[in-house]
Amino acid sequence: MAYSDKVLDHYTNPRNVGSMDKNSQAVGTGLVGAPECGDVMKLQIQVNPQTKVIEDAKFKTFGCGSAIASSSLATEWVKGKTVDEALSIKNTDIVRELSLPPVKIHCSVLAEDAIRAAIGDWKKKNGVAAQAEAHAPMAKAGD
Amino acid sequence: MSVTNKPEAALQMFDEGAVTHACWSCGDMRAAHFCQSCGKLQPALPTDYFTFFGLPRKLNVDVAALENEFYKLSRKLHPDLYARAAGQERQWSLEKSSQLNDAYRTLRDPIARTGYLLKIEGVQLEEQSKAATDKARQTGEEKKQVIPPELLEEVFELNMQLEEARINKKMGERDPELLREMEGTRNDLQAKHDALMDELHGYWNEWDALPEDADESLRKPVRDKMVGLLNRRSYIRNLVRDVNEVLEA
Repeated sequence: MAYSDKVLDHYTNPRNVGSMDKNSQAVGTGLVGAPECGDVMKLQIQVNPQTKVIEDAKFKTFGCGSAIASSSLATEWVKGKTVDEALSIKNTDIVRELSLPPVKIHCSVLAEDAIRAAIGDWKKKNGVAAQAEAHAPMAKAGD
Repeated sequence: MSVTNKPEAALQMFDEGAVTHACWSCGDMRAAHFCQSCGKLQPALPTDYFTFFGLPRKLNVDVAALENEFYKLSRKLHPDLYARAAGQERQWSLEKSSQLNDAYRTLRDPIARTGYLLKIEGVQLEEQSKAATDKARQTGEEKKQVIPPELLEEVFELNMQLEEARINKKMGERDPELLREMEGTRNDLQAKHDALMDELHGYWNEWDALPEDADESLRKPVRDKMVGLLNRRSYIRNLVRDVNEVLEA
């Protein structure tokens, strides 16, 4: 598979690899997986409690080059945004930025899921009203 | 070169008579692959692999019988037999031989067979995942991951260990304690994999027990259980593969 230059750049020189203390009040952790290819992606954010700005982000992904690049890019993009701004990042933005081919679109979906999951976790911890927790799970697949 | 195959005797499980059309050559009724009257090879139709073998869409398959049928059909469809037949028959024998190989490879393997059945039943995993993400974006609801969180945690932790072990291996270091731990992990994973296969056989039985005309409300729950299981299994399979790789001297 021919990777785009941007994918190769993130893959060979990933930004923000690492981990944060998941028990910290200011840290939100998202752990998601793409079963089609067996990838697993962890993305963590550190949020300023006053400004709600994401001051730092870390990731660790086990998967293909596109999954690593998607999560690396995701950490770059969320940094400096407020949690609400970060929620507007769409997988299609990642596809466009990295020129991902159709067979790798699920990697970008995974990265968006990871951002949402990390923000959801942070909101839960900090008692920020999130509709998410009030609702029953929407899909039963995977029971 | 003779193409006068004898009319097929009725098969017990491979019901080739299930699909009938008029024979292109004699106009009589034919079965899927050869005319029942004149024995002529019939065109390759776009058909699913179960139908190709005259099997119902069921998941418990007698693999030994399937293998016999495969060899029997391989011989009868072999392009060499049609080397001097009319152009269209030669072409059909090529197409059918290739269909036969694909169908056999898929149906003989329990996982490929299950995945294939789900596919022809209209399950599109990636589409579902994307749709769920779209919904989460619009509603602000949390997307439910198809993989249980505990399994994801475990997969993540194991991958961390594997990474360490790989780095050690590269440096030519063999940390005996880590390797011992990995051996234990391999056995755990194997046990888990076996348990998943048992679980899968249970779902096969559920699926096969559904009446032919069972409606969506009965089919979907069984399908969903199989989808979830295949997803979990692909993680376990990858880990088994990776652990074995690390443990190789």
